[in-house]
Amino acid sequence: MASTTGASLKFTSLSSSFKQTQVPLRGVSNVNSVSFPSLRMRPGSLRFRVSCAAKPETVNKVCEIVRKQLALPDDSPVTGESKFSTLGADSLDTVEIVMGLEEEFGISVEEESAQSISTVQDAADLIEKLMDKNCA
Amino acid sequence: MGASKGQKLSGLQKQVLSLYRGFLRAARSKPCEDRCQIESIVSAEFRRNSKQVDRKNFFYIEYLLRRGKKQLDQLKSPDTMGLSSLNVSSSQKQNAKT
Repeated sequence: MASTTGASLKFTSLSSSFKQTQVPLRGVSNVNSVSFPSLRMRPGSLRFRVSCAAKPETVNKVCEIVRKQLALPDDSPVTGESKFSTLGADSLDTVEIVMGLEEEFGISVEEESAQSISTVQDAADLIEKLMDKNCA
Repeated sequence: MGASKGQKLSGLQKQVLSLYRGFLRAARSKPCEDRCQIESIVSAEFRRNSKQVDRKNFFYIEYLLRRGKKQLDQLKSPDTMGLSSLNVSSSQKQNAKT
C-alpha cells in the first residue's frame, strides 16, 4: 500500500533542478512539462552551451595537438568546428588524440566521455570542465 | 574502422578502442625510449589488423581481443620492459614466445 507513493516522488525531485534553466531557454510553452527527463540530452542545447564555454587558448592548444597527432601541415585549417573525422582521423586516431590531450593538460578522461568527443570544440570543452573540477 | 563521428560504435569496436587506450596508458609508465617503441608497435599492430581483419569475423576479433588483453597484463607488470615480449607477439610468429 505505502510503496506506490515512493516511486513517483523520486522521479520529479531528481529532474527538477535542471528544468528551471532549460525550459524557458528553449521556449517550451508548456511549463507543466517539468517531468520531461530527456530535455537535458538534446544536442541543440549542448551546442548552445559549447559556443560560450571553452577559452580560445584552450581551443588553440587543442588544435595544435590535433595537428601534431594527425601530422597535418601547419597551415591546414583546424578550428573549433573541425570534426576529427573530416580531418581524416579514424577511431584509433581519436583515441590517440584524447590520450595526447590528457597528457598535455594533466587530466584523465573517462572512457564514456572520450568516445563522445568528435570535434575540437567538444574536446576543449571537456578539458575545461575537467580542469575546473581539478582546481575545485 | 569507420569514421568515429556520427555512427555508433559497436560493442566490439568499443572493446578494441578500450584495449588500445589501455596499451597507450601502460606505455606511459615505461621509460621514454621504450615507450616510443611500444607505441609505434602497438599502433602499427592495431592499424594492420583494422585493415586486414574482416569486420564481420567476430570470432577472430574476439580472439585477438583476448590475446591483446593478456599481452596488456604482461606489459603492465613493472618488470616488463615491454620491448621484446611485445615485439615477438606483434610480428606474426606467436609460437616464438612461450
